[in-house]
Amino acid sequence: MSGLVGALGEAWSELRHHKLRVLLSLIGIAVSVGALTAVVALSEYQQQQMEEQSDQSGGRPATVSISVSRTDGAPMDWDAFDAHVAQVSERYSFDYLTRIVDPVPLQVQTPEQVRPVNARLVDPAYPVIHRTPLLEGRWFQEADAELLAPPVVISEALWDVYGRPDLGAGFALRTTGDTAGTYPVIGVTPRQYNGDEEKRITMMFDSYAARLDALPADVMVMYEVWVPEDGVAELGPVLAADLRAGLDDSTEVSVMRTDWASRPDAQSSMAVFELVTGGIAALVLLLGGLGLVNIQLVAMRQRIREIGVRRSFGATQGRIFTSVLLESVVATAVAGVVGIAIAVAVLKAPFVMDMFSAMQDIPPFPVRAAVTGLVAAVAIGALAGFIPALMAVRSNVIDALRF
Amino acid sequence: MELVTLVRLEGVAKHVLLPDDTRLDILRSVDLAVAAGDHVAIVGRSGSGKSTLLNLLGMLDSPSEGAVWFHGEPVRKMRRGKLDRLRGRNVGFVFQQFNLLAGRTALENVEMPLGYASGRAFWTRRAAATRMLERVGLGHRLESTPEQLSGGEQQRVAIARALVRRPALILADEPTGALDVETGGSVMELLDDIASEADAALVTITHDLHVAARARRHYRLEAGVLTEFDLGATAGETAGAPELAESVDEPTAEGAALADARADAGDAASVRPSSRAEHAEPAEVAS
Repeated sequence: MSGLVGALGEAWSELRHHKLRVLLSLIGIAVSVGALTAVVALSEYQQQQMEEQSDQSGGRPATVSISVSRTDGAPMDWDAFDAHVAQVSERYSFDYLTRIVDPVPLQVQTPEQVRPVNARLVDPAYPVIHRTPLLEGRWFQEADAELLAPPVVISEALWDVYGRPDLGAGFALRTTGDTAGTYPVIGVTPRQYNGDEEKRITMMFDSYAARLDALPADVMVMYEVWVPEDGVAELGPVLAADLRAGLDDSTEVSVMRTDWASRPDAQSSMAVFELVTGGIAALVLLLGGLGLVNIQLVAMRQRIREIGVRRSFGATQGRIFTSVLLESVVATAVAGVVGIAIAVAVLKAPFVMDMFSAMQDIPPFPVRAAVTGLVAAVAIGALAGFIPALMAVRSNVIDALRF
Repeated sequence: MELVTLVRLEGVAKHVLLPDDTRLDILRSVDLAVAAGDHVAIVGRSGSGKSTLLNLLGMLDSPSEGAVWFHGEPVRKMRRGKLDRLRGRNVGFVFQQFNLLAGRTALENVEMPLGYASGRAFWTRRAAATRMLERVGLGHRLESTPEQLSGGEQQRVAIARALVRRPALILADEPTGALDVETGGSVMELLDDIASEADAALVTITHDLHVAARARRHYRLEAGVLTEFDLGATAGETAGAPELAESVDEPTAEGAALADARADAGDAASVRPSSRAEHAEPAEVAS
């Protein structure tokens, strides 16, 4: 115990004594550890952002999509199939299930004219499954289906047509045709990219269906269910079999995963990104380490008498080796902590956060990145300290005292 | 009272092979026993093998022939780690050039040997180092670095460092070599006093007969051969000790071969054309 504490104390004292040399040699290490940590963290942020964007189109992992069609060309009895799906899903106790009909054409009265606007019919689970962000207002609640004036969520481009009125001031859309009526706007979805001019209305499936006797025959109803990722591989075939049971041969039911996690290419592209950027940072770290070895070796030549004096006062070879090795390790660990702090500061900087502004769930600074940075710093310290430590041990005490 | 032998050299010889494949004998059949509380002085010219003898006594070096015994144990059979620990616990070195750790305070320098101790000695090293520095009269210079201390003060720090682990054997290699006569005298007095207090054996290597005169037993090392002599009898016949010291320190061809860093301009100036036979005894040298 006292040996380790003593060696650590000696290493720390040596570092304090040679502050300038240590500082200069460690700048490279701190920067490269910071870079390595930042790369790992940025990679995680990037992954989170990509996942969220993928979730918006394909749903969160694991989203299972159910679609049905008839092979004999006969019209689909959506009400019957909907009842069938409801019956089956009841057995599975799904928490997040949505019907999706997209698109449904509506005639909407805008300030200038009546114009066709595509609507998307969904259930309240849809924005949860798809992480659909809101610029203003709120998403649907189950109770909204009971309202006589069904609420809608519109896209930002459509909102612009009306001059971005305040949602709280009773802003509502008016439609004509079969679904004529007033639809209070409760939320606005943001543009997905610069120049996104898609004018779209999202409406609750039940609100729309209540206004019509039956769904138009040419629409296609899809179902999506968000289930735990763990058992999805087993769930898929069983669910498909349950849904097919009781249907005639001409009805074809398809069950498939649509989320990003089901696509290995998305994951492998992230791995490549991390590998390339991490490799560059590791190379920088290695160069920093080489610089450190160089400086330590030169410093060791100057300290050879000191080593001799220490040996004459009872320092064993092991102790000298440990002390010199620890000097590098302690130094690079400190540099590593500084590097990690720099990486945290950079990643929390407003300009970096702006790059990930679309991210909904901003992950905390990834522990994996900090651990990777610290391990890399300690490893490079041990590597850089090994040769000088060996040199210190191999020096002859008598020659060292004469030096 | 019979003294207990602390370190014993039996038929010790040390030789090295020179680049031209010739053998250089540094020490020849040296027998020496140092007991606890003993005070031994070894005088000899530069290159006579004094430092090699001191290194053997301090277990820093191993003999080519013969055996070294420490506390009755043969040193040759000890493993390196055990030897290092044994040396740390029992031997304190005082060097001519002080060899203090540059840039470290006096306290850090004196603390250093206790850093290799264990248990209570390790954990209370700061207090022990402070006490020892106070004992050598440097309680007010604890935070001074060697660069801020005079030569005499540096050597006192070195003495405090050598004694802080309460060693049984103190090996002083020309402890006054870098000091003026007056400072050297006070440093030696301090070293004597502290060694006596701790009942430690003190082996001093010197070319200064004033310093050698403080010892109880005196040895002369010449051409690798160690012989005991009575300095009291010699001094009585000697007109002036400084002249005697000069001649004792005459450089030799062996000294040049070993590139002894201690040979200084003063030593060179003292070279006189004299044969080895003239140096057989200090009295003869002075006569």
